[in-house]
Formats: sequence, C-alpha cells, structure tokens
Amino acid sequence: MIARAAVALGAVAAVSAPLWVANPYHLHVLIMAGIFTILALSLNLLLGYTGQLSLGHAAFFGIGAYTSALLALRLSWSFWLALPAAALASGLAGWAIGRLALKLRGAYFVLVTISFAGVISLVSINWMDLTNGPLGLPGVPPPTLGPWTLRTKTAYWYLVLAGAALTYLVCHRLVTSRIGRALVALRDNEPLAESVGIDGTRYLVLAAVISAAMAGVAGSLYAHYTRFVSPEVFLFSYTVTMVIMVIAGGQGTLAGPVVGALLFTALPEALREAVAWQWQMLAYGVVLVLFVFFLPRGLVPALNDVRRRAAPSRPPLQ
Amino acid sequence: MMLKRLVSTALVGLVALALLPAGGGAQSSAPIKIGVIEPLSGPVAASGNYVRMGAEIARDWVNARGGVNGRKIELQIEDNKSDPKEAASAAEKLIVRDKVPAIMGAWGSSMTLAAMPKLEEYGVPMVVETSSAASVTKRGNPWVFRISPPSEMEALGLEPYVDKLGVKKVDFLAVNTDWGRGSIQAFGDMLRRKGVQVGAAEFMEQSATDMNAQLTKIKQTGGDTLFLTTAVEQITLVLKQGQEQRLARKIVTTGGSSSPTQLIKQAGAAAEGSYHIVFFMPWFPEAMPDGRLAKAFVDEWTKRGNPFEGLTEGFRGHDGIATIVEAVKLAGRDEPKAIQEALWKVSITGVNGPIKFEKDGPAGKESGQSKPSIFIVQVRDGKVALPDFLKK
Amino acid sequence: MEQLLQHLVNGLVLGGTYALLGIGLTLIFGLMSVVNFAHGEFYTLGAYAAFAALALAGLPFFAALLAAIAAGALLGALCERALLRPLRGHSIDTIMLVMIGVWIAMQNAELLAWGGVARSIPHPFPTAPLTLGPLNIAPLRLFVVLTAAALIGLAWLLIQKTRLGTAMRATFQDRDTAALMGVPIGRIHTLTFAFGAALAAAAGALLGPVFLAYPSMGDLASLKAFSVVILGGLGNLAGATLGGLLLGVAEELGAGYVSSGYRDAVGFVAIILVLLFRPAGLFARAERIG
Repeated sequence: MIARAAVALGAVAAVSAPLWVANPYHLHVLIMAGIFTILALSLNLLLGYTGQLSLGHAAFFGIGAYTSALLALRLSWSFWLALPAAALASGLAGWAIGRLALKLRGAYFVLVTISFAGVISLVSINWMDLTNGPLGLPGVPPPTLGPWTLRTKTAYWYLVLAGAALTYLVCHRLVTSRIGRALVALRDNEPLAESVGIDGTRYLVLAAVISAAMAGVAGSLYAHYTRFVSPEVFLFSYTVTMVIMVIAGGQGTLAGPVVGALLFTALPEALREAVAWQWQMLAYGVVLVLFVFFLPRGLVPALNDVRRRAAPSRPPLQ
Repeated sequence: MMLKRLVSTALVGLVALALLPAGGGAQSSAPIKIGVIEPLSGPVAASGNYVRMGAEIARDWVNARGGVNGRKIELQIEDNKSDPKEAASAAEKLIVRDKVPAIMGAWGSSMTLAAMPKLEEYGVPMVVETSSAASVTKRGNPWVFRISPPSEMEALGLEPYVDKLGVKKVDFLAVNTDWGRGSIQAFGDMLRRKGVQVGAAEFMEQSATDMNAQLTKIKQTGGDTLFLTTAVEQITLVLKQGQEQRLARKIVTTGGSSSPTQLIKQAGAAAEGSYHIVFFMPWFPEAMPDGRLAKAFVDEWTKRGNPFEGLTEGFRGHDGIATIVEAVKLAGRDEPKAIQEALWKVSITGVNGPIKFEKDGPAGKESGQSKPSIFIVQVRDGKVALPDFLKK
Repeated sequence: MEQLLQHLVNGLVLGGTYALLGIGLTLIFGLMSVVNFAHGEFYTLGAYAAFAALALAGLPFFAALLAAIAAGALLGALCERALLRPLRGHSIDTIMLVMIGVWIAMQNAELLAWGGVARSIPHPFPTAPLTLGPLNIAPLRLFVVLTAAALIGLAWLLIQKTRLGTAMRATFQDRDTAALMGVPIGRIHTLTFAFGAALAAAAGALLGPVFLAYPSMGDLASLKAFSVVILGGLGNLAGATLGGLLLGVAEELGAGYVSSGYRDAVGFVAIILVLLFRPAGLFARAERIG
C-alpha cells in the first residue's frame, strides 16, 4: 500500500515538476537525472537480471549520442528519426558484444566490455573525418514537433520523462515475462537453467541488445539537450557513475536504478552547494564508501527489508 | 539498524539541500559576483588552479582599490572537472542560482564550447581566457569574448622568426585534443607558406607517459626542428625521452602554457636550447608592454607562495577578471546585457598587453577576439633568456 | 631493422613495468576476487611516498623504495581490515563499489595534499643513455626492469616456497578446509591485500622517477594492470609477467608501425582477441596459484 502510494506521489511530482521546481537549474539537474535513469535502467537489465557486469556501457551511450548528432547535423534528419536510429546503432553494438562474449562470463565479460569501450573511444578521438575528433560536434539541433522547437527546459523535461517512463515500462514487461524469468534463472544458476533447456548465450545476447539500445536512446536525448557531443561521452567516469547508481540503488530491482539515478545525480550537485570545491570529490568518495558500508545491497532492497519487517504476516516478496 | 536509518536520513537531507531554492536577493551595496569556471580537478588541475590564483590576485587588487562602482567584487569559483558536461552544468548553476552577470572560463576548448549554448540561452557574457580552438569565436555567439590567441594567431606571431630560427624541415608532436590538432593545423599552414617542409605529425594521448614510439619514428624523418604542443608534464617526458634516444633537434613548444621554468627543473639538461612560445615572461617582466604591472603581478604571486612555474598561465586569470571589471565599470551596473555591450568598449592593458576586442565570426553575431602579445624565449645555460637570434 | 630493435627494447622495458603492476593485481583480483579499482591509487601512493622520501626527507634511493613499499603495505592492510573484512560475504559488486569509493577518495586526497602540479622525483642515475650499437637505453630504465624482475622473483618465491605462500594458496582454493586446518583466514586476507598493494606501490616508486608523479597517474595504470591480469590468467604470476611484457611490446610495435593515436587500442584489441580464443589466459597451461 505504502509502496503504491509512494509511486503515485512520485509520478504526480514528476509530471508537475516544472510547476513547483522554482529554479531552472534544478530542472536541469532533473533532466540529467532522467537521462541517467534511462542509463541506469539499461545497465540494470544486464547487471541485475543477467548478473553480467558491463563496464563499457558508456560506449553504447556515446554511440547513441554520436549517431543522433551526426544524422541531425550532416543529413538533417529529424530528431524523431535520429533517436530510433541511435537506438538501432547502439543495439547493433550490443549485439556485437553479446556475440563476442559468447562463452565469457564474470570477470572476462567485464574486460571485453572495457576493451570494447576503449577501442570505440579511441576511434571517436582519431577518426577526424567522421566525428571531428576532439573538437567535437557543436550545434546539435534541438527536437522540433511541428511548428514548435523543444528548446525550453520544460518541454525537454517532458520528453525525457516520457523516455524514462517508456524505458521503465519495457523493463517491467521484460522482467515479468518468460524472458525475464529465464534471465533470472540464468543469473541464479546457469548450469541448472541450461539443463532445462534455457540457452544462456541467446538470452544474454538479447539482454545485451535491449540494454544497449536503451543506452543509445539516453545518448540521443543527451546529445539534443546539451547540443554538444565530444569524445568525453566515452569517459570511463560515466560508466562508473552508472554502476554506482545501479548498485547503490539496488540491482535486480526495478525501482533501484531510478532511486539510484536520482540520488547520485543530486549528490554531486548537493556537494557543490554544501562543500568548497577543493573537498567536493573527496567528499563524494567518502559518501560512497559510507553508503556501501551501511547499505551494501542498495537502498531499495534495504527499504524493502524495512517494509517486510513492519508487516511480518505477508509472504516474502520476489 | 538505527545507524542505517541515520545514514539514510542524512543522505535524503543532502538531496533536499540540493533542491532548496537559493538564498536571498542582492542589495545595491552587495558585492558583484563574477563566475569562474576552471578545471580544478582531473588531469589538468594544475593549470586550472594557476588561472584561479591569478584571478584571486586581480580580485584582491580591485577590492583594495575600493572595488568597482563602489562595490566589492567576489569570485564564484566552479570546478568543471575537465569534463564538458560539467562545464555546461557549472555555467547553468552560476547563471541561474548564483545570478552572476559575467563569467570567465572554461580553460579547455571543448569545455568552453559546451558552456557556450548556456551563454546564449540566458544572455550572459563570458571572457575566454585560455581556449585556442578557432571555432570558439567563429560560431556566431555574441556573448563570447576571448583574450587568448587562437592557434592561427599564435602561428602568425611566430612567422617573423621562422627564417631566423633556421627551420628547413619540421616535425610535429602534439597531444591528441582539439588544442594539439588545431596547433598542428595552424603552424603547419604557416610554415608551408614560408617554404618549410613538413615531415611527420605524431600524436600522443593526453594521459600517455611513454612517447618512445613516436620519437623513434620522428628520428627517421631527417627533420631539423620538432614542434611540441602539449601540457608541461608531457613536454618534460618528451624532452627526457628524446634525450635518451639521442634526438638532436631544435625544439619549439607552442601554446604558452608550458612553463620553461618547470621544464628546466624537471628535465634538466634535456631542456637546454629549447624555444618556447609564451604569452607572459615572468623572468623579465619589465620587457612586457606594461612592465610595472607585470612586475607587480610577479611580486604579488611570489609573495603568496604560489609556484613560480604557474605564472605563465596564472596571468590569464588576472587579465580575464580585469577585463570583466573594466566592463562592469563602463556599464555602470552589474547587468549581463550592459556588460556585454561594455565589453566592446574595453581598452585596457593587462599583464599580457593591450586588451581590446575586434569582431570575429559570422556577420551580425560576432564574438569578440582580442590580439594578445606573443613572445618567444629560450632555455640557455639552465636559465630562461631571450632567444639567441634576437639581439635586443 | 634498427628501428624495429629499438621498438622491441622500448617495449620490453615498458612491459617489465606493466608486469609489476599486473602481479600485484592478479593476487588481489585473482585470489581474493576483489575488483580493485583502487589498485592504481596504491601505485600513485608509492610514487608520492618515494617523492616525499627523496625530495623532502633526502633519503637515499633504496631507502625511498622501501618507504614506498611500506606505505603501500600499511595502507593496503588498513583498507582490508577496515573496509573489506566487514563486507566479506557480500556480492562482488558491492565490494567493487567500495573500491570505487576508495579510488575516488584516495585520488582526490592526493590532489589536496600535493596539488595538481606534477612532481619530478630525483634519482641517482646518470641521464646519458647507454648505447649498445644502434640501441639506446637509459640506466634508470635498466635499473627499473632489473628491480622489477627481482621483485617478481621474490613474489614467486613467497607464494611457492614459504609457509605463508602455501597458506595463501590454501585459503583461496578452499577457505573452509583451510580454516579447519588452522590457517588464520582473516590474517591471510589482510596479508594478501597488503602484499598486492605493496607491489603496486613499488611499481609506482620505480616508475615515478622515470616519468612524473601526479594525482591521476593511477587511472591508466589500473587499466593496464587489469589487461595484464586477463592476458596472463587470473591468479597466474608467471602469466602476468609474460602478459605484461607482451602488452608492452605489442603497444610499442602498434604505436611505431600502425598509428601512435591508436596506441592504447592495441592493448584493448589484444585483450578482446585473447578472450575470444583463449579465455583462461594466454598461458593457461602454466603454473596456477589459485
């Protein structure tokens, strides 16, 4: 009951945000949080539900951003075509990773993803003709809807909110479907799952493709909001941020990445307010360590525990 | 359990803090806030901090003289973490939360380019103190005013000395960023115009520490001069590794950010004989266009215990703030549009030299570009001196 | 031809240093299953410790090296006791996240303490290179390679020939049985982590004078270390050594003959290829520790 009320309240707050968020800067933070929510949800699909960690996820984000930006700048494609194209491009990359990593699991999968991201990053810096290298792609056009241009923050907030909601819905449908159950079975005990006929590799590839495509969507939204794409989108720190959001929020849950994204987008900004610039990053690291220490399974599972303790007569939730 | 609750509450509290609206409004005698966006952490933290130190000297001098229009000035300093996304966020925060009427920043060209759309969105001017990419002033953003030279201007500054340097065949080694690539382009074009042959153009990643492969390749070209464009740490490494490989070439470093003092300290004999394009000569400040100001700046910097090698970059912070302060004075009020209009009327002499903006970029939406002074020095007998070919 | 030889020599020198980074991490990652993102920070710590000892305290070079190793071991032990032991039993991802936090905290603490300016670490070797025919090699680099080899040898001896080493291997092969046999599990964990951290610090102290010391020097080091560990196989000391040398040579040849811009790509592509065709590491048949 409480959970449903909280979700409803959250939804109302989100939809009405431009009304009560006084400061455009805070709306900016919310928009970035929204984009990172999509990224966190996508990473969670791989990490939380298949148990495989992708530390190259920034590559899918970057591929989406560059694809969308290049199509809009060079071929004058509309945003509404560039976005699905970005998802497609990233999805293809996800398929490549999935196939490459056929038999790899655990640490080896992690390293393939890091290496893949590293190669893509270097290509974006060196292939000047395509990506303009380190000089980046300035002036990416904002989305247009008929006669209107979605240039204002309010308009963009609704766009990002729609994207995040859609991503959440897709994840939810996937996870509760047969595919989702197969993924969880694989995560919990792969040999056992395979013995009942679940093809591990096929499902891993599927999860990788969907996960990558979602990250590509986030990339496209990012490109048309900040209107500047440079090789820094491939920075390892973006991947690290996503990982923090998923694990600290609670991997393997659907609410976890959302909560994690909100928390860890707000945290650096809060530190900007609260702490002099010299201490900001150090404080961030310390907060992270403390967080993991006290909430090692993530925030959402901890909250679930509290709920379960408060209502012992209910059967344990899945 | 209690502890968990406590920590969760604290974290929620932090988030709430971030979402609280900013504090009260400004009164007429309240200080004028100037935004500063620099890379204060990350790989180029040293440079960003030097610029910050220079800006702080300018602020203190202005306040000691009574401020501007009867009000003191205050610097609102933000870290862009060497990341364009953070530069844009910092600009947004400065403009919207702190309500600064003008900004100085953001050091690297891609960081500046990322922040530029925000300037146009909200109508706030920014003085660009370091970025060297041509596109910064060519994008048709009338809120951008640059006091540092784009690479093309730098190359023009070197042009009169090319013959005296005796350059016949040149190789390039640059950091793989917009700055390095832009520099190779600009200097390559200029040198080719002077009939110099261009050999190899090699790159190094910003974080690379081993350049032996590139140096081995360069050794094969038979050139007589090597142009180096990168940060001072990498130049140190290139000089040392070049010495190890017995690379006997004239070395010319560009960009003005690499302090020859630091090179002498860390590369020792390997730095001997090298030439450096700089925009400030703290070793002989009297030779600067405003010798008195330059000397005072060097003295104040040293008095504060700031490292001497930071002067070749720190002056940018001073000149940037001085420019904004002058514009505020001319405008008579700390309102962004008025300051932008006043910037076109600014004509002062900073530590580098005269600062006056000319139109640059597409008609109707020009940015401002000043013509800074450019100097060449050489390392001779373990000290920085004027080059051997200049008999001054 | 002589260009090729010079590239090879450069590659071997570089590779020796990569190997040193790799063996510390292969113990921590391979034996303890800790995804130690802070490994590069112990490397940085070693470099700054050497700087403090040499430039500030004026100690002789070898004393500075020992000081760096001690600093790495101490901080590593502290890390394990304070952060890893209480979290033992939690998922590998939780532990990884803690090490990410340590990474961020350590790097920014270094930035605060030493400032962002790179420091040159003084050393007693002459700067003029030794010339062997067409090849040039700096005396300092030769020293680094030889010392690295010595440290690797010592590590191998410790793991293979001492009781402590046997206890380590036993713990990570089968913890419960080892506990039943009276092996102090907690202390072994602490010692292993401290040992890995000390090796990273030693690498930093050796490479610091070759290059420079600056707060973000550990980031690339971490990445190369992970590459070497995978190339050589998790927990495989000999593999890490050979893997390091191989990575160094591959990078040099790639930078020399393909393109200097794609230098690091060589390492990445090598990893992908190895993982595709020999996922257990290039030297799977070689001696395994755990």
